Amino acid sequence: MTVRVFIPGVLRDCCAGASELTLSAVTVRAALEQLERSHAPLYRSICDETGAVRRHVNLFVNLDNIRDGAGVDTALATGDTITIMPAVSGG
Amino acid sequence: MPFDPSDPLDRYSRQIRFPFFGETGQRKLLNSRVTICGCGALGTVLANHLARAGVGFLRIVDRDFIETHNLQRQILFDENDVAENLPKAEAAARKLRQINSTITIEPVVTDIDHTNILDLVADADLILDGTDNFETRYLINDAAVKLNKPWIFGGVIGSEGQTMTIRPGSTPCLRCLIEDSPPPGMTPTCETAGVLGPAVAIIASFEAVEAIKLLSGAFDALNKELIMVDIWDWTFRRLKVAGLLGKVDCPCCKHHKFEWLDGALGSHTTALCGRNAVQVATRRTEPLNFPEMAARLASLSDVRHNAYMLRFATEGHEFTVFPDGRAIIKGTNDIAKARTLYAQFVGN
Repeated sequence: MTVRVFIPGVLRDCCAGASELTLSAVTVRAALEQLERSHAPLYRSICDETGAVRRHVNLFVNLDNIRDGAGVDTALATGDTITIMPAVSGG
Repeated sequence: MPFDPSDPLDRYSRQIRFPFFGETGQRKLLNSRVTICGCGALGTVLANHLARAGVGFLRIVDRDFIETHNLQRQILFDENDVAENLPKAEAAARKLRQINSTITIEPVVTDIDHTNILDLVADADLILDGTDNFETRYLINDAAVKLNKPWIFGGVIGSEGQTMTIRPGSTPCLRCLIEDSPPPGMTPTCETAGVLGPAVAIIASFEAVEAIKLLSGAFDALNKELIMVDIWDWTFRRLKVAGLLGKVDCPCCKHHKFEWLDGALGSHTTALCGRNAVQVATRRTEPLNFPEMAARLASLSDVRHNAYMLRFATEGHEFTVFPDGRAIIKGTNDIAKARTLYAQFVGN
């Protein structure tokens, strides 16, 4: 399943400035595992040492929060977009 | 032409003509009370919009003083305010009273913490997020859920921002969505990533229009999603969050455990976002005596004080001390070092 991963501005330093990555995965968990191999700094910004999604980060598949569904086991379909949303604190 | 106050609604005529608002909406706004927590970039835009729109009572709470680098985005302040060493809440109130003298503006120069937040929001119909840190946001969230009051979250960095309207019981709360604040060093700060004035203005404007809807009773028009905007690459996302309500095991809105409000979570010494500075909050029952302190510190460089603050520099650090004993120490992000410096130069 070819999916797009949207990288917010605050995390683009982790992936050479890319605003979007394309990868092939059948679940969010598989997508994260791919990121761990291909973009380790980005992965570490999303997941903690135990592999859990960090508590200040939300992941959305298209418009839906994965915590509202199957979490990292949420299935992906070709054309889906994963949006990474780390909380930003400024103001 | 002098200002003519004979028709008190005339100044609002253009928004009254907006069919979904009308005179009914205006009268509700005029009878509303709002607490704006934080009067920096977000807070000045919020206060500007709401004072002009005619919110009848605005309480503006901020712990800080105006500095030159604020002027790029904090729209109520000018160079004179920097020169006068004015607190942000006070300077904002002065400016807003010139904009709209018919509403009540209450500036409060204090650090919002678990001991005072309930007093600051208890009589408000709505709480607005003009802060720059999650510690205060979680405090607002606890207070809002406990008191069953709506509040609007906004956060900005670089060219991007997020906002969400929170109505306890009807929407997820902040802790449902963001379970914990970003750990130090995990994400860029305002200092490393910078921040663009228009990005803050857009998020604050989203907050302000939600405030106008809430206060005028236009609940159906409210934002029920998380808005995520980046003005550099023109992305605008409305992401669904409603499903989190009741589904996630939220300590705050599901279990009514108010850990921030109870003081169980959160420190009283805080690294300030993007400022290479730490705030040390030590509350005193008696205000500090600045002339005495200034005399004691006379050997240090450039000791200055007015009614609101005392400032001095030493060992590469600049101290700003407030009458309640609170201090902002510039030149470090190290909380422990800041506590040491505080003990050395301000005392316990």
